[in-house]
Amino acid sequence: MTGRVIVITSGKGGVGKTTTSANIGTALAKSGYKVVLIDTDLGLRNLDLLLGLENRIVYTIVDVIEERCKLRQALVKDKKNPNLSLLAAAQTRDKTAVNADQLKEICDTLKEENDFVLVDCPAGIEQGFQNAVAGASEAIVVTTPEMSAIRDADRIIGLLATKEEITSTKLLLNRVRPNLIKTNEMMSVDDVVGILEIPLVGIIPEDTGIITSTNKGEPIVNDETALAGKAYRNVAERILGEEVPFLNLDEPKGFMAKIKNAFAKLKAKV
Amino acid sequence: MSLFSNLYSAVAKFFRSQEETEEASKSVATNRLKLVLMQDRTNLTPRILEQMRSELIDLLSRYVELDKELLDLNFEQEGDQVALMLSIPVIRAKDEEEIEAAIKAHQESLSIKSDDNSDENDTSEVSEKDVVISDSEEIEENNDTNVIEEVDNQDIEETTEEAEEAKKADDIAKELQSKPTVIKKKKVSAPEDISNNPFRSENIEAQEKLESTSET
Repeated sequence: MTGRVIVITSGKGGVGKTTTSANIGTALAKSGYKVVLIDTDLGLRNLDLLLGLENRIVYTIVDVIEERCKLRQALVKDKKNPNLSLLAAAQTRDKTAVNADQLKEICDTLKEENDFVLVDCPAGIEQGFQNAVAGASEAIVVTTPEMSAIRDADRIIGLLATKEEITSTKLLLNRVRPNLIKTNEMMSVDDVVGILEIPLVGIIPEDTGIITSTNKGEPIVNDETALAGKAYRNVAERILGEEVPFLNLDEPKGFMAKIKNAFAKLKAKV
Repeated sequence: MSLFSNLYSAVAKFFRSQEETEEASKSVATNRLKLVLMQDRTNLTPRILEQMRSELIDLLSRYVELDKELLDLNFEQEGDQVALMLSIPVIRAKDEEEIEAAIKAHQESLSIKSDDNSDENDTSEVSEKDVVISDSEEIEENNDTNVIEEVDNQDIEETTEEAEEAKKADDIAKELQSKPTVIKKKKVSAPEDISNNPFRSENIEAQEKLESTSET
């Protein structure tokens, strides 16, 4: 089989690349697809933490490249889902320990045996970015509705357009806060899409559940009740080619949420 | 009316229990982070850390009787120095005879070992540093390069591990996390001058970056 290699990138740091990688990877694996996540952020690895796999890492991508182990040995299987595995970044090295050709080779090998290879890209537009993009044929650009993130995303989209191998670039808008958009304090989804002019693959609401899920090393897609988890599951379905409507974030979230809201108001009065 | 207040307290309890789980997740995060940072700063993998733990227990239990189950090993940043904090509850003091016997037994076991590797230097007084090093394969006596070589050896050892070890390491780490806090604290020593470690500055940098970019 020949799997799809998708790079998850953003330009700016802290917008949620790693969270997005962990969640889309987990969601695809839950749907029964074989997925490998590659952390290419050498020296600043974090994907292992978000997946709760930090203590299982024996070999890293640098060990594979420097031939201290086989590629298969370096893949850390997820605790819950055997379809999902992680190729971790080395923590003691920097971006120069790897070059683009080497990463492309790894991606090419991995896509033979997997349905999806998701490459978590480091922030920036230097070698780390060039490496991460090298083996990919699709890209997801993560941004938030903030000026600096959008500006950096625009720069990344421009750079991706110069790469012949990248045939599809899609936008994932993260940390959207509907109540701020309503009061015109935050750029709306339409505003951002209008500026960046690439197709949208997902809108993820700001969700405090992300904090607890990171704390536990458990991607939020595993939480059936979380709105952000639902949004990420929808992204995975869209990647699989299904037409899924975007979540209406204004909608009340459901029975429990209504009770919770009502109760919060009651509590405030008392 | 009492029905209403009962209902209220039941619902309140439900929401309180939710808050409690959130607090629990905070402490899970803190513990996971501490462990990861400790590994990052020292280049010690969970497996090597466990080895260090057991060697320290061996060493110290020659002199006092310890509660090995409650051993707590930590690295703490104090200014520009990293301190190795080791705390173990002492069950009871040993008397002189017992200590002498334990030391003697240890020296005998050492001399058996050094007979096997004929070239190893035959020191009678063994510091904890030597214990750690002597097990991690042929390191030259050249003190200047010790630090680097030790790290290199760890890397090599790490790479010869099988995937099963990773699972074992995970268990160990979990165990480390779940250790309760201990009564007595005793600062054993700052490990061999870490400020000379070439990886040190990089570690600080990485740590600072990590703190500034809280999530990626």
